[in-house]
Amino acid sequence: METATALLTAEAKAPLSPWQLFRRRLKRRRIAMAGGVILIGLYLMALFAGFIAPYHFERQDRDRFFHPPLWPKLSGFHLVVPRYEAGDGSFVYHLVAGDTKPLRFFIRGDKYKLLCLIPATIHLFGTGDENYPAYLLGTDQFGRDVLSRLLYGSQISLSIGIVGILLSFTFGMMIGGISGYFGGRTDTVIMRLCELIMSIPALYLIISLRATFPPGMSSAQVYAMIIIILSFIGWASMARVIRGMTLSLREQQFVLAARALGQTHLKVIVRHILPNTFSYVIVAATLSVPYYILGEVVLSFLGVGIQEPNASWGNMLTAAQNTEYLRNYPWLLAPGTAIFVTVLAFNFLGDGLRDAADTKS
Amino acid sequence: MNLLEIKNLKMDFGIGADALRAVDGVSLTIGAGETVCLVGESGCGKTVTALSIARLVPAPPANYVGGEILLNGRDVLKMSNRELRDIRGGVVSYVFQEPGASLNPVFRIGNQIKESLKLHRPIGTPAPGTARTNETNTPCQRPALQDYDAEVIRLLKLVGIPAPESRIKNYPFEMSGGMQQRVMIAMALASEPKLLVADEPTTALDVTIQAQILELLHGLKQRLGMAILLITHNLGIVGDMADRVAVMYAGQIVELSPAKELLRRPLHPYTKALMNAVPKLAGGANRLSAIPGNVPRIGNFPPACRFAPRCPMAKPECSEKIPELVEVEAGRWVRCPFWK
Amino acid sequence: MWSYLFKRLLHMIPLLLGVSLLTFLLMALAPGDYFTALSQNPQISPETIAHLKARFHLDQPWYVQYFYWLKSVLSGDFGYSMAYKIPATSLIVQRLWNTFLLSFFAMIIAWGIALPLGIWAAVKKDSWIDRGCSLAAFLGLSVPDVLLSLLALWFAAATGWFPVGGAQSPVNDLMSPAQQFWDRAHHLILPALVLAAADWAGIMRQMRSNLLDTLRAEYVTAARARGLGEGWVIYKHALRNAINPLLTIFGYSLAALLSGAFIVENIMAWPGLGRLTMEAFFAKDSYLVVDCVVMATGLLVVGNFIADLLLAWSDPRIRLNK
Ligand SMILES: Nc1ncnc2c1ncn2[C@@H]1O[C@H](COP(=O)(O)OP(=O)(O)OP(=O)(O)O)[C@@H](O)[C@H]1O
Ligand SMILES: [Mg+2]
Repeated sequence: METATALLTAEAKAPLSPWQLFRRRLKRRRIAMAGGVILIGLYLMALFAGFIAPYHFERQDRDRFFHPPLWPKLSGFHLVVPRYEAGDGSFVYHLVAGDTKPLRFFIRGDKYKLLCLIPATIHLFGTGDENYPAYLLGTDQFGRDVLSRLLYGSQISLSIGIVGILLSFTFGMMIGGISGYFGGRTDTVIMRLCELIMSIPALYLIISLRATFPPGMSSAQVYAMIIIILSFIGWASMARVIRGMTLSLREQQFVLAARALGQTHLKVIVRHILPNTFSYVIVAATLSVPYYILGEVVLSFLGVGIQEPNASWGNMLTAAQNTEYLRNYPWLLAPGTAIFVTVLAFNFLGDGLRDAADTKS
Repeated sequence: MNLLEIKNLKMDFGIGADALRAVDGVSLTIGAGETVCLVGESGCGKTVTALSIARLVPAPPANYVGGEILLNGRDVLKMSNRELRDIRGGVVSYVFQEPGASLNPVFRIGNQIKESLKLHRPIGTPAPGTARTNETNTPCQRPALQDYDAEVIRLLKLVGIPAPESRIKNYPFEMSGGMQQRVMIAMALASEPKLLVADEPTTALDVTIQAQILELLHGLKQRLGMAILLITHNLGIVGDMADRVAVMYAGQIVELSPAKELLRRPLHPYTKALMNAVPKLAGGANRLSAIPGNVPRIGNFPPACRFAPRCPMAKPECSEKIPELVEVEAGRWVRCPFWK
Repeated sequence: MWSYLFKRLLHMIPLLLGVSLLTFLLMALAPGDYFTALSQNPQISPETIAHLKARFHLDQPWYVQYFYWLKSVLSGDFGYSMAYKIPATSLIVQRLWNTFLLSFFAMIIAWGIALPLGIWAAVKKDSWIDRGCSLAAFLGLSVPDVLLSLLALWFAAATGWFPVGGAQSPVNDLMSPAQQFWDRAHHLILPALVLAAADWAGIMRQMRSNLLDTLRAEYVTAARARGLGEGWVIYKHALRNAINPLLTIFGYSLAALLSGAFIVENIMAWPGLGRLTMEAFFAKDSYLVVDCVVMATGLLVVGNFIADLLLAWSDPRIRLNK
C-alpha cells in the first residue's frame, strides 16, 4: 500500500523514466555538456593522432632546436606559414619577412599507422617542404615537433585514464560486492586491506610499487605497468563504497527474491546488486579519470614511466623542469595546458553528471 | 482587532513560468487566546502557510503574489528585517514537528533557551507585556528578569521537565524525543509570544508521549492565555484542543468552522472523508489517509474543484466551475456548492 | 571520549605495522638492490660485498630482514643509509621536518583561503560571487600540481623574487639567527603557495556545500523563528555545525596534500620526504624507501588522529559518548 502510493505520486509528478529525467537534467547543465564535447574532441584527436600530427613523434630536425611556435596567416585564399631563421649556433630565431609557404592539406608525409593499424602517409596538413616546417607549437630540445608529440602523447595519457578506470573499477566493484554480500571475515579482511592501501599517501605507494618492476621494459610493458600500478591503488576506494551500498542492497526484496530462486551468489552480485550501483559508479569514474591521467603524468615526468623517445604528456614536461629552457622556450609547457584542459573537462562533466544523478534536487 | 488576520494569501514557489502555487487564497483569523487547528493531508500547504506568518519561508524560492498577513494589525509581508526579527519570537513562536532536528545539536539546551531570553527579555528591562499571573489570570506588569539561569529553570519546570537544574547542561541528543519537544516548547515560551504555532508537534513522537505533549500545550494555553495555531493531519486530536478548525486541501481552505460543530456535522465532502479516515485506535499516527486516490501535487491541481477527482459525490460541474468559500451557516464556511 | 580516542590511537599501530610490512614486501620483490650496481665495480671484491650484505642482513629472507628493521626502528634507529653513507635517522628526521613544514604552511594557507571563500559563496548562493568562486574552484581543482610547480619555477627564475628551489641558501649557516629565519621563510613561501593553490579548491567546495546543507536544516529555521539575526543564525548556528563534517574530510585532504607535496618537492627541489623517496628509489636504497613511506604514512595517520581529537572536541555527540 505504502509503496503503491509512493509510486503513484512519483508518476503524477513526472511521467518520465529515471534515465530520461537524468538526460533532461544533464542537458540543462551547459558546462557539463561543454566538458563532454571537449572530451569527445580530445579523444577523437588521440584516435587520429598520426593523421592530425604533421610529423612523426620521433622525427628530429637537427637544424631547428627550440624553434618557436608559428602562426599560419591568411594570404589570399591560402594559409601560409612564415619562415624563421636562427643565428649561427644560437637558438634565437628571427622571422624572415615575406618568406612564406602555403600550408597544404591532406599532404603526404611521414609514415604512421592510422588507428594504430592501417599504414598511411597522408597527414591533415603540412607544407611538404623541409625548409618551411609547420611547427605550430614549436620544437623541443631535440628539434622534435611539440604538437606532433603532444598528439601522440595524448594517445598514451588519455587512454591510460580510461583503461585504468575500467580495470580498477571492475575489480573494485567485484571485490566491494563480494565484501558487502558475504560479510563476516571476508569482509573484515578486504576492508582492512583497503584501509591499508588508502592510508599510504598515493604517490609514495606508487613509487614503492614502481620499484618492484625490473628496468629495461619495452614501451608496451611500461604502459601495462603504469595501469597496473594505478589500478592497484584505485580499486580500494571504489570497493569501500560499493561494499557500503551492497550492505543495504542485499536486504532488499529483489535480492532476496533472486536468492530464493536459487541463483548463485556470483549471479546475484553481478546481475542484481552491482547494476544498482551504476549511477554512482559512472559519476565516480568520470571524476576519477583525472587521477589516472595525472598518475601517468607524474610517473613519466619523474622519469620512471613512459620513456623517451616515446611521447607522453608527462615525459614531455620533464624538459620544462630545466629553468633555463623554461624561461626561454615556454612552449615546452604545452602538455601542461593539455593536461589542465583535459582534467577540467572531466571535472565539468563529472560534476554535471553528479548533479543530474542526484535525486535530491 | 484580531491577533492574526491572513487575508487571501497567495504564494508561489518559483517565478514566472516555473511558478508553482503552494498557497492559493488562504484567509484565516485567530483571535487573542484562541486555539485554531489547521488540518489537511501531507503536502497541502499547512507548513508553508504557518511559516508565512513570520515570513519564514525562504524567498527565493518563495514568492508572495497576493494577500496580506496582519499580525497585531501590521502586514508581515511589508515588514523590514528589523521588524520581522522583533515579531519572530516576540509575537509568534514556533514548535516544529521533529524536535530532534529543530534543536541545534551542538549547543546545550540551556544556552539555546537563554539565547531567546537575551534577545527578547534582556535582564533589567521590564517588559511592557501583559503576562498573566497564574492565580488571578489578570493582566499585570511583569517584573524585569533578574537571572537567566533561574528563568530557564522556571521555563523547563513549566513544561514539565523533571530536575531541570541538571538538564540545562544537556545536549539535545542526550534527551528523549518527548523531552526534546518539551524543551522546544519552553524555548518558544521564553519570549512570551501571543501566538504559538505548533506544526505537527506530536507526529514524530510515541503515542503515549503525544497525549502528554498535547495535554501540556492545552494546559499552558489556559495558564498563559496565548493563542495557538495547531497544525495536524489528524482530526482525532482536534476535539480536545481547538476552538475552531480550518481544513486545508491543495493549497486552499475548504472548510472553516467551530470545532465542535465540525466534528458533529462536517459539511465539506473532504472533511467527511477525513473524518472517516481517522484511525479508530486512539492516536494512531497514520500519515496515509484512507481516502482513495492521490493527493494532487503542487503544480498539478485540478482546474476547478481540487477535490473533485477524489470526491465520492462529485458532479460534472465540479470539474468546470471553481467553487468559492462561502459562509453557509453562522461561522461555518465551506468551499463546495453541494455541501447539503 | 577517552575510550573513543584510545581506540583510534590503538588503531594506528596495526595500520603502521601493515604499511611497513607491505612496503617491505614490495621492496623485497624489487629486482636488484644497492649492491647489484656495486658488484659490477671491479674495485670492490665479492668478499667485501658479502660482508656488507651480512652486516645489513641482506643475505637473509625478507621477513627476517623485516624483523631486524622493525626492531631497530622501534628503538628509534633507522639504520644506515647505504646511498648517503650516513645514519638514516638524522636524514629522515630532517626530511620529515621539511615535509611537515611545507605541508603545514600550505595547509594553513589553503584552509585560510578556502573557509572564508566557501562561507561567502554559500551565504551568497547563486550570486556572481558564488559563480566566480565555483569557477575558480574548478580551475584550482583541475590545474595539475606538476604544471603549477613548473610555473612557479618559471616565475621564480623570471622575476628573481624567490629562490629557485632548495630549503635554504648555501650560506645559511653563516647567517645571524634572524637572517637564517628569513632565509628559510623566503625559500618556503613559493612551494607552500603552490601546494596550497592545488589544495584549497576541494576544501572550499566542501565548506560551501556543508554550510548550504546546514542552512537548510530545521534548527536554522527554528533559530530564525526565534528572531535571531541572520548573521547570528549563519555564523553561530549553521557554521558551527558545518565545521564537523569538514573535520572528517580532513584526512582525505591531508592525503592529497602529501601527494601534492611529493610532486612539489621533486620539482622545486624542496628537500623533503618525497624527494628523498625518489633519491632512494634511484639509488636502490630500499630500506630508505621503506622508511620514507612509513614516515609519510605516519604523518598522515597522526594528522588524522589530530582531526579526530578536534572532532571529539567540537562535536558533543562524540565527546560525550561513553
Ligand atoms: N522550499 C520549497 N520549494 C519548493 N516547493 C516547496 C518548498 N517547501 C514546500 N514546498 C511544496 O509546497 C507544498 C506544501 O508543503 P507543506 O510543507 O506546506 O505541506 P504540509 O501540508 O505541511 O505537509 P506535511 O503534512 O507533510 O508537513 C508541497 O507540495 C511541497 O512540496
Ligand atoms: Mg508540514
